[in-house]
Amino acid sequence: MTGTPLPAARIDVRPHACPVTWVKARIALSRLATGQVLEVLLADGEPRENVPRSAEEDGHRVLRLEAAPEEGPGTWRAWLERGPEPEERAWP
Amino acid sequence: MALTEAEVARYARQLILPGMGEASQEAFRSARVRVTGGGLAAAPAVYYLAAAGIGTLWIDEPDEVSPGSGAGFALGPADLGRPRGAALAAFARAANALVTADVFRPGSRPTAVLVCGSSSDVSRAIADEARLLRTPHVVADVDGQGGAVTTVPVDAPCYACAARPGLGAAPTQEGGATVGALAAMELLLLLSGASSEPVARRIEVFRGTPLVRATSRQPGCACAGPAAAGLAP
Repeated sequence: MTGTPLPAARIDVRPHACPVTWVKARIALSRLATGQVLEVLLADGEPRENVPRSAEEDGHRVLRLEAAPEEGPGTWRAWLERGPEPEERAWP
Repeated sequence: MALTEAEVARYARQLILPGMGEASQEAFRSARVRVTGGGLAAAPAVYYLAAAGIGTLWIDEPDEVSPGSGAGFALGPADLGRPRGAALAAFARAANALVTADVFRPGSRPTAVLVCGSSSDVSRAIADEARLLRTPHVVADVDGQGGAVTTVPVDAPCYACAARPGLGAAPTQEGGATVGALAAMELLLLLSGASSEPVARRIEVFRGTPLVRATSRQPGCACAGPAAAGLAP
């Protein structure tokens, strides 16, 4: 994909269930700089739906979401671009 | 040190809360919190601090467990006669095997203090000690079925500045649960690093209605330094 930066890190959350799938992706994203890309291998179904949606809700960008059968049956690949640092939150 | 697989699994639901993350959880793990004062808020607070992953809990409660000492959900008949601190430490370890909990030993250096005083005088003495040691602290005052929680970051207006008369009702288990849970949450916010400028505030919960206000220094109080207290040369 022209102009799309290559992933700076890669994680495989297929062995995990919600919410650990998103937690592991969120931690991996927090270790990247803004604009860097994380590749996440996901199982089909709930993880494929929830992880990209949670990433967008958290201020990141979903660059790619595609089937990745070469990684195993039912595997999907998401490329998530690290969003800007969130503004400091006020105490509740 | 990065979180382990067991920690990620254990704390997954709080790791996705807004403002929380790996750094906050690591801060909890490296914290050493002293819970002290002998009040009814201690047992609920200990539970929530352990469940949240405070790495080291030191319980400073030398009195023995008695039938009327409360915390029935935490301490059973087998605990009667045991030192309350040891019993609550065992309760904390049972709540979360990933944390260390023990009785407080003199000379230990906590990074934060949760004051659960059995009276406002007890709370005031312990809070003053924490202030002088420049240790952030949260004070839980049970008052009837509610009470107040005062958050005192380092160099903030002290507990004595923030305190004001409540209902003066006898403490109840319900009040202990409410105030203990709230105090634990305030301490976790202090330790989480979610804000670069922790808020000095007092939350009062009476008749089910919370009232939050920022605390301010009383003129002449010693917490402002020697000059304000009239002690400067």
